[in-house]
This record gives sequence, structure tokens and C-alpha cells, in this order.
Amino acid sequence: MAGEDATVQLEKRNEEPLNYRDGNMSSQWKLNGNNLTNTSMVINPTSNSMVESLSCSSDSMADSFAPPIWNQPIIWQSLGYCDMNVKNNASTSNTLGNGTSIFGPVRSNAMLKGSTFLPDFPVMLPPSLPHFPADSGFIERAARFSCFGGGNFVDMMSPSESLNPYTGDSLEAFMGNGSKSLPAMQSQRHEINAIECSKEVSLPVELGTEGSLIKNDKMIENFPSSHDEAKYGIGVSAHESDEAKFSGSGFQEELDDAAGESSAKGLGSKKRKRTGQGTQINVNNGGRQLATESAKDQAEIQQQGDQNQALSKPGGNRDKSGSQGSDLPKEEYIHVRARRGQATNSHSLAERVRREKLSERMKFLQDLVPGCSKVTGKAVMLDEIINYVQSLQQQVEFLSMKLATVNPWLDFNIGGLVAKDLQTGTIQAVLPGLGSSSVPLQGSVNPQFSTVGGRLRESTSQVHCAWEDELHNIIQMGFNSNEPLNSQNLSGSPRLGHMKTEH
Amino acid sequence: MPSNHNSIKTRFTYRFARSLKKLNKNRPASQSMKETYRRYHMIRVASYASMASAVGPKRAWSRAVLWKIRNRTLHRTLMKKSRIHVLRTRKVSGNPNDLRKLVPGGEGMDFCRLLNETAHYIKCLRTQVQIMKNIVDHCSN
Repeated sequence: MAGEDATVQLEKRNEEPLNYRDGNMSSQWKLNGNNLTNTSMVINPTSNSMVESLSCSSDSMADSFAPPIWNQPIIWQSLGYCDMNVKNNASTSNTLGNGTSIFGPVRSNAMLKGSTFLPDFPVMLPPSLPHFPADSGFIERAARFSCFGGGNFVDMMSPSESLNPYTGDSLEAFMGNGSKSLPAMQSQRHEINAIECSKEVSLPVELGTEGSLIKNDKMIENFPSSHDEAKYGIGVSAHESDEAKFSGSGFQEELDDAAGESSAKGLGSKKRKRTGQGTQINVNNGGRQLATESAKDQAEIQQQGDQNQALSKPGGNRDKSGSQGSDLPKEEYIHVRARRGQATNSHSLAERVRREKLSERMKFLQDLVPGCSKVTGKAVMLDEIINYVQSLQQQVEFLSMKLATVNPWLDFNIGGLVAKDLQTGTIQAVLPGLGSSSVPLQGSVNPQFSTVGGRLRESTSQVHCAWEDELHNIIQMGFNSNEPLNSQNLSGSPRLGHMKTEH
Repeated sequence: MPSNHNSIKTRFTYRFARSLKKLNKNRPASQSMKETYRRYHMIRVASYASMASAVGPKRAWSRAVLWKIRNRTLHRTLMKKSRIHVLRTRKVSGNPNDLRKLVPGGEGMDFCRLLNETAHYIKCLRTQVQIMKNIVDHCSN
């Protein structure tokens, strides 16, 4: 499946992401809608309400991304808040240390208030909600679960607590990245998401355990997509922030492109696009793919150094449940997801990315080098390329040797160089030829012809014999190529003689 | 990019023809082998230099060519000898670093970047050969 996903993704790479995003927008936002509605209320919340909602849900990245249409500061604040929660993994009240200062007091209040908070929401958690422990992990889980359609929130609560350490981690990862990546999230997608999200007023609360999520295709579909979004955002932000770190120039180009574009397209690297498509194509493996993609990106950017921590999560996630492999590390990495059945080591992921890039370049070269369409295999292809480059260079040398001997007495008309024929690669009006009466020379050149011809007569008579000798010498020098050129050399001299008689 | 390539073609042609003109101006009457070799060498350098300057400093290989030419005056004699020798004994050899040696500036880059540069280099080489052929054809007509 992973393989299929990969191939499908590669095929649709350039077109799918947007489509995918649009298609899944609603689903994503249904998924996230509840979170958003719960936490952030509908679209026009006050900053406080936003804060509260977000803090309470301590949403995943998707949530934080969801309301781009809202005031950015609010988003940032909420994300920062979430980030706080995530990173500290402790009761949130203490953790609101760094980051968005805007939120600081609000955040702490939000977190601490926990249970008192929730009732404040207009969209509400069911009244049956028990008291919430002010636990970041719990809140994250709760937030996430609220996304998954309606349902019994209470039921979700208890199982959810024991649930998903890695979803919590992923949430943390999301949040960890969210605060940093938010600035990058100014994309259409997020706007769309936000709008759709805001429309979700009801609280589809079908919170379930991870297992239930796995079984529920809809959830699986939604969940990875939300993570996908988050990952896109993370990826983009990570790109932007980590651009300076990139050592690979080729990769840097991709990243530059990625950073420069919206998140929808900004994931210029194939990995991210594939990620987007993967969720669409393979629902069950979506999460896994996303994790792989993200892990891969991450590995690439971090240069395989310190990614083991981040990448171990994808591995662990995959072990647990196939669908929800949101394995975002806590740091700002670009996430690469290992495909199913493949090693998730950071080195192997980066290696795979590199190999894919290489194969793409090889394909391009295959088009350039004539006669290489049926050649398969890197080594043979390289041989062909080397042969071709060598032959081209030999041709240049031969032609320059020919130029050195053929026309030392020619007077080049530089003005004629700017002839129209240059566009087609033929140089007709450039050079006054050796006086052939057949006119490759255009009108402007002809007036000069007589002078050139005169000179030619002079020079040819002088050097004719020596020139022929030289040509023969050149031919005997062993130019193995360009038989026609040799014949041309030979024919050149008779033509000179001919010209002499002409004039 | 076809439009870029056309402009590269134009620029190369202009520069190359200009340098050929300059070279031909100083040509003595005698056509000794040595003289021919020297001219050949200068023309070849002129063609690569014209192409590299037409491409500009955007590409690593063009930068390498221009840099090499700039430092050429110190090693002119040595290089000429080695070049002629290479011209006579050139043969196809194995893979691994050959592409690096062929593409100017290819020594110091990773393989992926090397392939990029090779692709662009091949395109420009083809243009160079084509235009030089045209010049030779016109000169030989």
C-alpha cells in the first residue's frame, strides 16, 4: 500500500495537493470543527474566548491552523499556549513560560480553570462532561477526540485518558511546531479550513480510542488529513526557519521554493505533496504516510544528525496503529514519513529522498542525451552521459581546429551577427564566406564580398599549397570523428581554387 | 527554457565571432603547424569562454570555466601541452569520477548537483557545437 501510495503520489504529484486539500477540506474541518467550535467558538470570538477555547482543547496543529481567518495574534497566542502545554507535559499552569507573551496570563488562567472553562464555551461540550483534569495530555486528547464527529464525549473521556500516548505526543509535536509554524500558515488552505471549521457548530463528538479511530474510516481519513495540514504547516515553517541550516544546495532550492509559496503549494518538495495525496489515496495508511513524509523531510533538513528522537516516534506510532502515525517531534523539523515496510531510520529516509532526487535528475538527463531512452540503470546511463559529453567536447575541439585552419583570413562581420537567423541557430549573414557566388550571404554582406574576395584571391594564391598540406596534416593527426568535416576540408581547397578562377 | 537558451545562443555567437575576428586579425601569413596549433588552442579557449560568459555566473560550470581562464595565463604553456596530448589520446573510461572531470567545476559538488550542472552543460555544449559548425560551414562555402 505504501508503494502504491508512493507511485500514485508521484504521478499526481503536481496536481493532487490542491485537489486533495479541497476535497478533504470539509472532512478535515469536520474533524477539526468540533475542536474549533468547542474551543474557539465560531468565527467571531473575542480574543479571550478564543484563548479559552483553544487552551481548553489544546488542539492539535490542525486546530491551531484552523482559524487563519481569525486574528493571527489570536492564533499565535493559542498556539503558543498549546505549545506551552505540549512541551511541558505537565500541568499547564506552570508551563506557560516562554513564547507568546500575549497569552501568558490568559493561558494560565485557561489551563488552570479547566473545568470551569469549558462551560464558557458557546459550543459546548456535553454537559455530562466530567471534571477535567488540567492535564495537557488529557486536554489534547479531549480536543482531538471532539473532532471526530459526534458521540458520547463522556465515553471518550475515560478511554481517552489511557489512550494515545503518541497522539498526545503528536499533538505536542504539532503544537510545538505550531507556534513556530504559524507565521507560515498564511495560506489559502488554512483560510478555507477556518471557514469550514467555523461552520461547524455542532459538536460531533465521537471520541473514541485509537482503536476505534482506526476502525472508523472517516476518522482515519480526517485525522491524518488534519495532521497532514499541520505537517504542511510545520514543514513550511520549518523550512523557513531552517533554511539557513541546509547544506545541500539542491535540497535548499526545493526548500526555498517551499518557503516561498503558500502551504498548499509551498510544500514544493515532493515529499509533502505526496503526503497530501497519500491521505486521500490511502486512508488507512494516511497517517503512516504522513509520518513518513514528515520524518523524511525532517531527516533531510536536519541532515540526519539529531533526528533520531523525532523519527523514533514515527516508528513507534506505526507499530501501534497504522492510521494515526502522526509522529511529529517536539522540535521544528520537516517531517518525513517513511513508507510502509521501509526503514525509518533517519539515515535511510534521507537516503531515500536523495535517491529519488537523483533518479529524477537522471531521467531528465536521459531526455537530453540522444539514444538513451531505452537505457535503464544508473551506471549505464552515466556511461552514456559521459560518452556524450566527451563526444561533444571532442567535436568542439575538432571544430576549433578546423576554424583555426580553414579561415584565418576571414573578416567577420560582427554587425551581421545580429541577424535574424541567430534565433534558429543558423548563421547566415554573419560571415562573409569564402566568396562563393551562391549566396548564403545576405544583402548587407555582399558589398563586403568584393573586398573579401580580393583578399581571398591574394591569400589563397599565397597559402593555397601550404594550406592543403596543413589540412592533410590535420587529417592525419588522427581525428577519429567527423569524416564529413575531413571531406569538407578537402573540398574547401578546390573551392578556393574555383573562386580564384571565378574572380 | 527556450527563450533563455536563445539568448544564450545569441550571446555566445556574438562573443565567439568577435573573438574569432580578433584572433584572425593577428594571424601571420605563414601557416606552420605550431602556429595552427596555437590558433587552434586559442580558438577553443575562446569558444568555451564565450559560452561560459554567455551563460553568466549562474552556473557552477560556467564559473569554473571563467575562473580557469582567468588563471590561465600562469599555466598557459603547460595547459596547451596537456590539452594537445589529451586530444590525441582521449579514450572512454569508467564512471566514477569521470563525469566530475568532464564537467568543469564538477569536482567539488555532490552528485545530485553534478547531474544538474551536467544537464545544463550538455545543453550549452550542444549549442556551442552547432554554432561552430555553422561558422565552419559558412567559412568553407
